[in-house]
Amino acid sequence: MSKTIDDHDSMADINPNRSQIEDLYTDYNIALDDLNLEAWPQFFTQTCLYRITTRENWEGKFPLSTIICESREMLEDRVAATRKSMMYAPRSYRRYHSGLKIISSSAGVTKTRLNFFVAQTLVDKPSEVAFCGVAYDTIVEEESTLRFKERICVMDTEMIPNSLIYPI
Amino acid sequence: MDGAMPVSESPRPWPQAASRVPYWIYSDPDIYSSEMEKIFYGPHWCYVGLECEIPEVGNYKTTSVGERAVIMVRADDGEVYVVENRCAHRGAQFCRDKFGQAKEFACPYHQWVYALDGELMGVPFRRGVKRKGGMPKEFDPKANGLKRLRVEIVNGVVWATFSEETPDFRSYLGERMWAHYTRVYDGRPLKVLGYNRQHIPANWKLMMENIKDSYHPGLLHVFFSTFGLFRADQESATEVDETGRHGILISRKGEKEANDVSTSIRSFDADLELADPRIIDYHHEWPTPQTVGMITIFPSVILQQQTNSLSTRQILPKGPGGFDFIWTHWGYKDDDEAMTQRRLRQANLFGPAGLVSADDGEIIEFSQQAFEAYQNRETMIEMGGHDVECTDYMITETAIRGMYAYYRQVMGF
Repeated sequence: MSKTIDDHDSMADINPNRSQIEDLYTDYNIALDDLNLEAWPQFFTQTCLYRITTRENWEGKFPLSTIICESREMLEDRVAATRKSMMYAPRSYRRYHSGLKIISSSAGVTKTRLNFFVAQTLVDKPSEVAFCGVAYDTIVEEESTLRFKERICVMDTEMIPNSLIYPI
Repeated sequence: MDGAMPVSESPRPWPQAASRVPYWIYSDPDIYSSEMEKIFYGPHWCYVGLECEIPEVGNYKTTSVGERAVIMVRADDGEVYVVENRCAHRGAQFCRDKFGQAKEFACPYHQWVYALDGELMGVPFRRGVKRKGGMPKEFDPKANGLKRLRVEIVNGVVWATFSEETPDFRSYLGERMWAHYTRVYDGRPLKVLGYNRQHIPANWKLMMENIKDSYHPGLLHVFFSTFGLFRADQESATEVDETGRHGILISRKGEKEANDVSTSIRSFDADLELADPRIIDYHHEWPTPQTVGMITIFPSVILQQQTNSLSTRQILPKGPGGFDFIWTHWGYKDDDEAMTQRRLRQANLFGPAGLVSADDGEIIEFSQQAFEAYQNRETMIEMGGHDVECTDYMITETAIRGMYAYYRQVMGF
């Protein structure tokens, strides 16, 4: 029996469901928490925008980012620099998320907002809340995989505890 | 004992050599208090902000000079004032927003109201109620406004000082540093691109030293040395003003190349390639050939011109063991879109997540940890000899020696 393709069905096929989106965030956080930095650029589409900025800049409409990458290559460059050229004390980040809201999902483009929370642990130090805020993401399917076309992390954190080393 | 004790500013003697700095100046709370009084509240101009942050009457920004909270505000006469953010009555730091727009300032505690220029306008129930209570008759509102600091606006930058003795800003800089200052702050209108704020757990002087230290960039910062943005074999200079307190590191960028110098840098990484080199896409925009001009204006700010990335980096001390570091990235108001994008992209190298600058915050934290544990040891600042001079090379610590020559004079060591 051949299936009749109507608009409703085709849209349902190309738009990811909530649990697929949840899985993307879980896999993203696991890769970064485990310091599998080399996997990080693969969570993004070839042409992409990744930004970490502050609420002060975001609400004040200031374009500055704390980190900005405008292509997957720039993400790769940041990984290479983090691995090979930057000097910093050893640490781990553990990422938590909550409050997933699917703002819109149509024609294969899903927009979400999601709270993030990053606990940082330095050697011989107690863990601390280093960064928290909200991420505004645009997710699409590319090569049969859900990827970020855009990820903008807006930090509430007013004063960064010295450095921001790994991605959020 | 006849009671005539010799007057000594500090019971702790400075080491014999001028090119040595004792660890205790980075952690002693008494020395820190003395630095606030003699340096930050003394005869020195401190950075407060950019004039373009408060373009309209009633616009204000809150910040600090040293540890003292102040408000930079454009008052009804159109002039910029810097007043203490401290109610004359009970001392509340009443203004809580980073930026705002106001017709007047009111302390929420007892509703004392101040004009934008700090003048005390209203004291509720000043005469009491039914002739009972109220302020004493001799209370003079004119003498109880918000304390005003002296202000100078110099090519878009707002400077303030608590002291009547501070000379005018140009004299404060000296002619040599004035020329460097006006190369970038040339009078063209500026616009803010945004802010980064970080707390660095290290003594405030270490950040001044870091940017006066022309020996470290090509070594600590692998990113700089690898991509030829700042390396020991490049044309460069280190200059200080007549007092030694201000300084500039000047450099002219090269290319990525393996040569005698780069291969002797253990950290040079010939394998590091940028897949998307737009973050180091440099466009020459000033008349002189230099591509880097890092100015330290004692004691409060670093003025960054690193390729096309421009920022002010304000130092707000928070006790001997730490300081807040506030980055204001800016561009010229008439920059085209491509130049703005270039500045924003290059900003990836700077700030708390900077491919270069993160190294600095981390390394000075490492220094601070040792200083607190070994009070009576000394650091060496002998690269390039023992004198304070302007040099046409990088392998020198002359600008750090300059700052400490001045520091000892002010602090009485």
